[in-house]
Amino acid sequence: MKLRPTSPQTHWKTGVAVFGIFSVFVLLTLPRLVLAATPHHIHIALSHASEAVKWYEQYMGCEAIEGRGNAVDCGTAEIDFVLGTVQGGSAGSGVDHIGFSVVDLEAKMNEFEKVGVRGSGIRLQRFDDGSLVRDIPGLFKIAFIFDPWGTRIELVQDAETLGFHHIHLNSVDPAATLQWYQEVFGGTPASLKGMLDGLLFDNIWLLASAYTDGRPGMTQGRTIDHIGFEVADLDQLAARMTQLQVEFQQQPVVPENARSSAKRAFILGPDGVRIAIVETGWAGIAEQVIVAAESDLDLELYVPPKTPWGEPDLQGIWTGDAAHGIPLQRPRDIAETETLTADEAAARRERGTLNSIWGYEREWRDTTLGYVKSAPSTQVAMVIDPPDGRLPETTADFKRLVAAAPPRVPPDRAARPEDLGTSVRCITRGPVGLMMPSIYNNGLQIVQSPGYVAMQKEMIHETRVISTEPRVGLGKNIPQWLGDSHGHWEGDTLVVEVRNLNGRTSYLGSSADMKLTQRFTRTGPNTLEYQFTIDDPAVWTEPWTGMFTFVRDDSQYELVEYACHEGNYGMTNSLSGARAIDRREAEAAENNQ
Amino acid sequence: MVSRLQAAAITSILSVVTTLFAASSAMAQTSSSYSAPRAWDGNPDINGIWQAIGTAHWNIQDHAASAGLPELGALGATPPGQGIVVGDEIPYQAWALEKRQENWNNRQSTDPEAKCYLPGVPRATYLPYPFQILQGTNKIMIVYGYAAANRTIHMDKENPESAPLDTWMGRSHGYWDGDTLVVDAQGFNGEAWFDRAGNFASSSLKVTERYTPIGPNAMMYEATLEDPTVFTRPWQISMPLYRRLEANAQVIEYKCVEFSEEMLYGHLYKKDSE
Repeated sequence: MKLRPTSPQTHWKTGVAVFGIFSVFVLLTLPRLVLAATPHHIHIALSHASEAVKWYEQYMGCEAIEGRGNAVDCGTAEIDFVLGTVQGGSAGSGVDHIGFSVVDLEAKMNEFEKVGVRGSGIRLQRFDDGSLVRDIPGLFKIAFIFDPWGTRIELVQDAETLGFHHIHLNSVDPAATLQWYQEVFGGTPASLKGMLDGLLFDNIWLLASAYTDGRPGMTQGRTIDHIGFEVADLDQLAARMTQLQVEFQQQPVVPENARSSAKRAFILGPDGVRIAIVETGWAGIAEQVIVAAESDLDLELYVPPKTPWGEPDLQGIWTGDAAHGIPLQRPRDIAETETLTADEAAARRERGTLNSIWGYEREWRDTTLGYVKSAPSTQVAMVIDPPDGRLPETTADFKRLVAAAPPRVPPDRAARPEDLGTSVRCITRGPVGLMMPSIYNNGLQIVQSPGYVAMQKEMIHETRVISTEPRVGLGKNIPQWLGDSHGHWEGDTLVVEVRNLNGRTSYLGSSADMKLTQRFTRTGPNTLEYQFTIDDPAVWTEPWTGMFTFVRDDSQYELVEYACHEGNYGMTNSLSGARAIDRREAEAAENNQ
Repeated sequence: MVSRLQAAAITSILSVVTTLFAASSAMAQTSSSYSAPRAWDGNPDINGIWQAIGTAHWNIQDHAASAGLPELGALGATPPGQGIVVGDEIPYQAWALEKRQENWNNRQSTDPEAKCYLPGVPRATYLPYPFQILQGTNKIMIVYGYAAANRTIHMDKENPESAPLDTWMGRSHGYWDGDTLVVDAQGFNGEAWFDRAGNFASSSLKVTERYTPIGPNAMMYEATLEDPTVFTRPWQISMPLYRRLEANAQVIEYKCVEFSEEMLYGHLYKKDSE
């Protein structure tokens, strides 16, 4: 069944907003542009943008916009596809999903089921009772799918508006968010079937649902990178924005390689939503590969390989060696720099290893640790959200807890192994610490089978088997040190939600209720980007996200068996040392009497 | 085409079989008429969660019930069971038989399992817990819940590389012999035991394992154990492995370190500490 919008109108439509003509467009980023190492080699690859165009034509009833290889007209909205690194799907970010309305939802979902989830790259979302379609009394039938790039799409059967239907925001305060959009962009406050408050922009609904799970993720870098509004006069809007105290993220400017002379600006809306504002006549940016050709940059589109059974292939031996030395937080004296120079990075690692608590000597380090031969990462800090690279404020309750906590037992006073921590005891580095780069044994081996990804971390030796298909999982009475890993693919990104944590390890004070989400994305043949989001409202006032990159080293690196507990002489020595101190003090006390 | 590795392996297996026939306790290798579902590469699909059933983890040989620590009552007793050793005899050299007896006598404190040490091969296979096999594109990984143990079976190395260092779990190279996955495991550190009865080998142990599907939910596990330092001849074990059929079956983390600490370090604890 091919979807048709109610009327074959062009994608720019006249609205009712204060600022005159505007339209809404959604920009979906696609995987993924990578700087290759070979100079003077131009590889032009448009296959993904055109695949996306084809997909939205075939399944969503949109039409390719002539002369643009990377945009479709979906009736009332335009969707642009841009090559870029994607850090996962839209769900859970400030723009949770976009909605399309169809004439017969059951038939549409049957069509998807027949096509097969793997074949078309479509993922279907089932409701708790296993059904695909839910009839909301008084509203309409709804269903959810994910496009092959991880964009969450709601399909509704709303006879009043067919075709592109709505943009659905996640918001900590939906009423305030809608009011903000109305003040800045206009739109008509209205109620969808008397059930859902929203703003109506022409035929498109802007809806906002309460997000109760902390704060929604930043949209930038997700599949729905931003939403765009068109205005007749950007300068006029700029004046109004100043009144409303909305700051530009990027000032109005005609971007290089724009297809018209219209200006574009970016702002950051409520709930981490990146918003583009474009002037009438905006026709997008030329394909980035053409930018590459013109600026003589060497750009190559990277498409991660698939396993023989069709899942993104993350297999191989990776190491976190290059990332060792990246501080978690951006140092306060490096406010502006995006990346260090190679010399600065080398100096940082030098300081990090030689001045580590272990006090390793240079000679031992240089002859023993292979990674010293590899180039250190030039990343300034791991924290990428909040954007300033600093951890969010801790809560008042947490501060009180810390102040009231008994002092830590120093190692030479350890009464029992429990005083020395789970890492020294060779139990675990914890669900967060497990992945962190350390001074040595940074290997990460990944082996996949259909529906599963096994990740073996070298240090201490810990292996997680992550299911990539929905499954029951462990009951709530089976907590684990590393939790129970529930994974799924969002496009080429493996997203892992870690549940059932036993709360017996803590990362920087994280609590037993920490919600940990991990994202693994191959950004090149030898790079695996890893992001971890910690949402722990008992400790931090906002969720935060860290990122670093594992580097593939199949040819030289092999994980060794890190039989930690089996050779834990450190435990025996620490405890016997502590008892020797006890004895000495007891003797001294006796002599003094 | 048979690779040199395969040829060598087949030759050595044949020689083992011949030896066993000569020793009159022959066991034909399983060559099932069952045709297993195929994995992506046309080989049998043995992905999934498997577990041994029986009492081999107590004692790989035939054994009657016997007492355990009195304070545990009947819970500490060894249940009776039929062994998995083909012919039931382990051909220990004389010194090794004495050593086995010593292991048995001191097993409550010296069994590596009591210390939560890595289980080694083949013991990992028949511990009474599930394990998961993942058939990757060039490695097969086996993930065990006990002690976070795992094995990587290199399917992509034409000639087995010698282990860079001796380890508890050894180094494994595999290939398919028809519908049988054959794994050559060597490079052990000689610290692991085979069971709670003190059966053991040295660092010169070589284990040749054969995994053969015999039905949708079962496969035969056969292993030939060679160790000229400890045994007078190669010997074999054989047992089925069963697929765990529970809809929610999964390998559960069994990090047992903390349960071994008091036994290992208790004498170094500060008195009256909790």
